[in-house]
Amino acid sequence: MGVMEQQVATRAPLVALLGNPNCGKTALFNRLTGSRQKVANYAGVTIERKEGHFTSPNGRALRVLDLPGAYSLTAQTPDEAITRDVVAGLRNGEQSPDVVVCVVNATNLRLNLRLVLEIQRLGLPMVLALNMVDVAKKRGIEIDTARLSQELGMPVVETVAIQAGGERALVELLDSMDFGAGAGIKPQPLAAIDAVPVEQTQREVRRIVEASASYAHDKGNLSEKIDNVVLHPALGPVLLAALMFIIFQAVFSWAEAPMDFIESSVGAIGEFVGSVLAEGPLHSLIVDGIIAGVGGVLVFLPQILILFFFILILEDIGYLPRAAFLLDRMMGGVGLSGRAFIPLLSSFACAIPGVMAARTIQNPRDRLVTIMIAPLMTCSARLPVYALIIAAFIPEREVGIFNLQGLVLFVLYALGIVSAMAVAWYMKRRSGSGQHPLMMELPAYHWPHLRSLALGLWERAVIFLMRVGTLILTLTILLWFLSSFPGAPEGATQPPIYYSVAGMLGRALEVIFAPIGFGWQICIALVPGMAAREVAVGALGTVYALSESGDDVAGTLGPLIATSWSMATALSLLAWYVYAPQCLATLSTVRRETGSAKYAWMMAGYMFGLAYLASFITYRVALALGGG
Amino acid sequence: MTLQPTLTTLDALKVGQSATVIHLAPTAQGGADVPRRLMELGFVPGERIRMVKRGLPGGPVAVKVGESTFALRKFEAALVSIQPE
Repeated sequence: MGVMEQQVATRAPLVALLGNPNCGKTALFNRLTGSRQKVANYAGVTIERKEGHFTSPNGRALRVLDLPGAYSLTAQTPDEAITRDVVAGLRNGEQSPDVVVCVVNATNLRLNLRLVLEIQRLGLPMVLALNMVDVAKKRGIEIDTARLSQELGMPVVETVAIQAGGERALVELLDSMDFGAGAGIKPQPLAAIDAVPVEQTQREVRRIVEASASYAHDKGNLSEKIDNVVLHPALGPVLLAALMFIIFQAVFSWAEAPMDFIESSVGAIGEFVGSVLAEGPLHSLIVDGIIAGVGGVLVFLPQILILFFFILILEDIGYLPRAAFLLDRMMGGVGLSGRAFIPLLSSFACAIPGVMAARTIQNPRDRLVTIMIAPLMTCSARLPVYALIIAAFIPEREVGIFNLQGLVLFVLYALGIVSAMAVAWYMKRRSGSGQHPLMMELPAYHWPHLRSLALGLWERAVIFLMRVGTLILTLTILLWFLSSFPGAPEGATQPPIYYSVAGMLGRALEVIFAPIGFGWQICIALVPGMAAREVAVGALGTVYALSESGDDVAGTLGPLIATSWSMATALSLLAWYVYAPQCLATLSTVRRETGSAKYAWMMAGYMFGLAYLASFITYRVALALGGG
Repeated sequence: MTLQPTLTTLDALKVGQSATVIHLAPTAQGGADVPRRLMELGFVPGERIRMVKRGLPGGPVAVKVGESTFALRKFEAALVSIQPE
């Protein structure tokens, strides 16, 4: 760390960006800091804390904190509570900012300025960044910044966060500010906000807007015309269904080529390493353990990125709240909020971002129900398991216009969704409470922004690769050791893994899982599969590779299980994976998000119960129908 | 003789129709202060609003207030007393 960097980390003035959702605050943050960002969590909660830094033209180092979007400091969501606590200096371990940059959407001063007046009562140094002025000008909205600055009693600068150089005025202003000798100004207590009634603040906002902005030439925007189609009671749902269909098609078909590429590369590396290393434990560890295990997981990166590509674009252009609007009636029927659509859609990629996205749901009970059912959405980690078993057991046959394998996959997805709705409905019945607020903004549509999209995808890729490189790698190695030692005794009749620690564990678990058709090999794979579902495939690979003569895993696992499992066992395992809470990372996220281990245990309990029940029924029915 | 203004609530407003907010019914449901948040979003007495879109029967409505559009559930819209134009 250079001297410069050290100063940045410790003494540089802290600039907090604060504003309503949909004001372009995060785009401005990205514009200011570029790649000099650090994404972590606020202590004790999983709310993302984004801090970055930059050096001004005059050589001044500044730190920038991107606070979660808020409509008000009278917080109604966990995100808003964080923003309130940080800006009011009430959060342990967080320094109160040296200057608050209030980012407002220039096309919507009426809504945005109220928060500015509220923050002003805390008495911190403030700057107003009038963002999206380009859009406002195009629409014919004229804003007199000098007058606005005079009315508000704070400097006002124009910014265009989505344009290179659009942050210049803000940077110059920050450069010229005097932050004192780091003395820090203590914010006023929050009670200062309630000193003025909401209605009076709104009157003041109206007065300031009338005095400093002219809407005489306002041409309006296209959003309402688009909404005539998108929110149409009949056309809207059709469009939504078509979009979902395209997304799922893309996740499967676009990903094929890059997945084949990753698979063949991993195979080639395995072969190369295998040919260089002599036969022995090290050869087995690297080829059967690490390369087969990690490679089997890495292959899902393209699918995750494609899904997030669509989610990020739909979010960026403003479609997701519309989808929530369309689905609110239906989801309300089972006691969910329309807002739950976004977390549940994310859960098809992975339940962890899904559970975290549930933060945008204001009502604590709605939020809890959404979190509890999120893991029932078929996440991408289940795909390898489904794909392996379906390819090995379901014949590739046309059923009408459908492909039988594809149909089975669709049924598994549908089963997850239907079960989630049933669980939500049951939880609603149990709590029996009334309706919960929605109050959701439908922001103006705008074109997707490529730079933000690229940054978002990059972030996802890094998170996934970190997971592969740490958790999954460690487990794969651990499993190899457990499966390889102790070796087989003299005169052994079974393969060596049968006598290993993992084998003993598998045989012990077989007592529990035999009624649903799982043999000891499957039981072994279920244990590391607890850490992450997709590990189960790698684990099955390792287990069967070590059970047999040590052939290369990737190619032979399918035919191998096809000959050693019955159809009933295969279907039972599919049913198991629809429900089983096979993911410790999700459970720990649930614990952090809900602030209590109780809900994580409840989730594990109900999902295991459902999994066992579903597998038991599937297995017994399949046996009765001759699938033994 | 003066014509009595016809007061109603926002959930009854027709698509495309405008109205003026008269009053917000106080209620605190599910731990959230809904009327306060509605006022913070712009639904203050005297403000002009317009029904942009109604979803499925019983579903949320989209209401324009100031420069923003908000989706409100039926019960939230019912808290807002209005005078249609």
